[in-house]
Amino acid sequence: MPLAHTPSTVPVTVDDAKCIADKGCTVCVDVCPLDVLRISDLTGKAYMKYDECWYCMPCETDCPTGAVSVQIPYLLR
Amino acid sequence: MDEIHDATSEVACDVLVIGGGTAGPMAALKAKLRNPAARVVLLEKANVKRSGAISMGMDGLNNAVIPGYATPEQYTKEITIANDGICDQAPVYKYAERCYEIIQELDRFGIRFQRDGNGEYDVKKVHHLGTYVLPMPNGETVKKALYRQLRKAQVLISNRFMATRLLNAPDGAIAGAVAVNTRTAEFLVIRAKAVILCLGAAGRLGLPQSGYLWGTYENATNSGDGYSMAYHAGAGLANLECYQINPLIKDYNGPACAYVAGPFGAYTANSAGKRFIECDYWSGQMMQEFYNELQSGKGPVFLKLDHLHADTVSEIETILHKVERPSRGRFHENRGTNYRERMIEMHISEVGFCSGHSASGVFVDEFARTTVPGLYAAGDMANVPHSYMLGAFTNGAIAGEHAVDRAGEIDWPEISQEDVAAELDRVLAPTRREDGIPPNQIEYKTRRFVNDYLQPPKVTAKMEIGQRRFAEVREDLETRMVARDSHELMRALEASSILDCADMAAAASLYRTESRWGLYHNRTDHPAKNDSDWFCHTILRKEAGRMISEKRPVTPYIVPIAEDERGAYDRQRVRRQA
Amino acid sequence: MAVTDPFEAFGDVADLALDLADPDAAVRRVAVLALAETADPEAIPHLGGAVADPDAGVRRQAAEALGGFDGPGTAAALCAALADADPGVAAAAAESLTELKDPAAGAPILPLVAHADAFVRAAALRGLRNLRLATSLGPAVGALGDPEPAVRAQAVGVIAYLKSEEALPSLIGATRDPDAEVRRAAVGALAFSRHGHAGEAIGHALHDDDWGVREIAADALGRAGQGTGSAALIVALDDPYWQVRQKALRSLGQLKAHEAVPALLLVLADARPTLRKEAAAALGEIAAPQARAGLAAIADDTDPDVRKTARWALDRLPA
Repeated sequence: MPLAHTPSTVPVTVDDAKCIADKGCTVCVDVCPLDVLRISDLTGKAYMKYDECWYCMPCETDCPTGAVSVQIPYLLR
Repeated sequence: MDEIHDATSEVACDVLVIGGGTAGPMAALKAKLRNPAARVVLLEKANVKRSGAISMGMDGLNNAVIPGYATPEQYTKEITIANDGICDQAPVYKYAERCYEIIQELDRFGIRFQRDGNGEYDVKKVHHLGTYVLPMPNGETVKKALYRQLRKAQVLISNRFMATRLLNAPDGAIAGAVAVNTRTAEFLVIRAKAVILCLGAAGRLGLPQSGYLWGTYENATNSGDGYSMAYHAGAGLANLECYQINPLIKDYNGPACAYVAGPFGAYTANSAGKRFIECDYWSGQMMQEFYNELQSGKGPVFLKLDHLHADTVSEIETILHKVERPSRGRFHENRGTNYRERMIEMHISEVGFCSGHSASGVFVDEFARTTVPGLYAAGDMANVPHSYMLGAFTNGAIAGEHAVDRAGEIDWPEISQEDVAAELDRVLAPTRREDGIPPNQIEYKTRRFVNDYLQPPKVTAKMEIGQRRFAEVREDLETRMVARDSHELMRALEASSILDCADMAAAASLYRTESRWGLYHNRTDHPAKNDSDWFCHTILRKEAGRMISEKRPVTPYIVPIAEDERGAYDRQRVRRQA
Repeated sequence: MAVTDPFEAFGDVADLALDLADPDAAVRRVAVLALAETADPEAIPHLGGAVADPDAGVRRQAAEALGGFDGPGTAAALCAALADADPGVAAAAAESLTELKDPAAGAPILPLVAHADAFVRAAALRGLRNLRLATSLGPAVGALGDPEPAVRAQAVGVIAYLKSEEALPSLIGATRDPDAEVRRAAVGALAFSRHGHAGEAIGHALHDDDWGVREIAADALGRAGQGTGSAALIVALDDPYWQVRQKALRSLGQLKAHEAVPALLLVLADARPTLRKEAAAALGEIAAPQARAGLAAIADDTDPDVRKTARWALDRLPA
């Protein structure tokens, strides 16, 4: 029984130019209560892997360089 | 990333605290400070730095019993009345006596409470019954301050480990827990002399009206794992039919915070801009009035601030948009809502279990002890009614102190390797399937049925259909659910907790054949309150593998409630014609 | 074999600090975060060094991080950062300064009350306020003559937290400050004193041009608990701003001002339910028997809060 993928627009976006995950920073990934952020093997930058967001904002608030921004998920907007 | 590793390690500690949100850190800290030689482990599914209901802080205390403003007697009386009399007063009274000391301690940790011009606590009078609100202007730093204290005390913190089941010794006492890493699927078996459950509300039970699984009132991590674990360990759960339902901003998951905006002159109004809430207490009765207004031609319901001065509104916005739910400002901005010009549409939340706001939780006494020896519970999941954030801190402290004392008196209870092996098998089953149903679909279906069949007003025939549907979902969960990586495995385990809670909600609601607590337990086919048969707690627990419910008498009051006060709650049922 | 250590590691401060010398500013920034997380006082000198980093981002991160520590070493590092050319760094240092609790932290801060930069002066006073040091009183009284209103407002805060009767004339003077923010702080601060002059000054503030000052004065008179304030509060029931009237009603209740009962009874007919409710609550506090008829008349008010409060007030009247 194969699984299909349903696209969804993600609430959390990361500005790669500002993100310093490639320098060892893991703040946003650490603080996310739902553990939906990861650091990309390709770019070394943080990104939202799972659309399971409580839009609670620690990722944005605690990011040392202001690279992360949280939007309200589209279904609630 | 998120690959599944096959590994198991075993550690031993004196006190294991599960859940690093509000009650948990305080429990671990107090246990460690009371006995610095004790090995205290704090286990957290997310990261203690930003986990739990107060991950982004809290804008104030709403049940602060501060000498000179309120007394423990007065507070206990109000909570008893607000909870329709079904209340063991000893834990409530103990909270009220100790919470001021905890406020002062939090203050020393660097959590600032609002002060008046002379530096004294600026306690707000919300209504004439009691004065319990103390704003927290830098409430967003709560978690950071707690985390620093944990580091200083050298509490062992275990982040990204999700407890799956408690382990019982042969005599039934608690002996530890099994946990799984949410990023590697490695197992950790923790032997402990005492375990404190601080896993928060069952907030992912009903489905928000938006249909977004994660748009819940409670932090969406709070999937009821604590309720499920306590149940499987044999602990009694009290009054689960007394659901949590809260007013919130429509489509947004944030509370309307009438208690924050109230002291500034804001209030809850109907579409004509008129107040309509007759009830004095934050209670199911108040929610019933809210529900009635929503259903009536006078709805929807709004938070009204547009009559306030623009400067006052700005002050309220600073509080509401900075702390607890900082995305609130963004939500309103998207829709072009300006508090100064328009009332804000409100609605009611999905259903859940939570003692922090109502009274559905694991049964505990005044030492936070559950009915299982060595097992404690505190915070939203422990049934000290209406305990809110300060209750979580205070009762967490009580639990930590008592648990570490117990640990000093006993040896490690025996654990059964068979139990451990069986639990590993249960947890890993979804990872061993090649294909099947993903956890998010199992969860969605469960939660939709909760909305369809368990939401108040509660109807017997509907709840019975719900039970049959849950059994079908359980069959799928046990035989067909698939988890492809460790993250999905966490979601699969959460789906299992959610389904357990759904079953408990149905069973508890069907057992109490009367209506009580306003909307929380409004049964259409038993519409009257029946004190002669049901002035008691209901306790749900697992016996011989089956879910049973029984009555438990309310412990005689230590703070007497006069006959006319006892009726105060009922009088509010009579709606006056405005 | 376990892949992951089950417990969070307690990193060694000296090891973590090595990265503060890395040529890459981002790496230094990550090192600051790691040092902050240790909560180990050994990290203070390293963070103090990072406050002088060439990169403004690192400096701001260090100033923020120091907020989690305490003591004179922390205070000295933050004081240095207050004068940073980058406003973000200075603001972070000012915020962290308010977190200090150790009285010994006051020593490095005190001299900054005379700093050339007004931002530094205000931030220093704000930090000193929470420490409540007797040695701050003199400099704070002096700062009431500062040309910058923001500095004067913070100076009022320091004096107010010390609740010094000795400084009462200075506080009373500040209630006539040209700046409304300073006046608001000063009027609110006087509530601690039972001295007649304090009550008089608050009463005088009920006629201030700024409604915010009048609102605070109406509130402060109730907190100050001086019965002599009730006459002024009765006059304030005619204030053009309902917010001021609301506070005056509440204070009259707190003062149990029997002489206000006739005026309060008139407010029971106000068009604003919030004021009707507040008047009913005040009448309940005072528990004057002559309020019975008036309260009974609004026990069926169209507004539920007014009805509830009226019922509560009626219960409190002597039989």
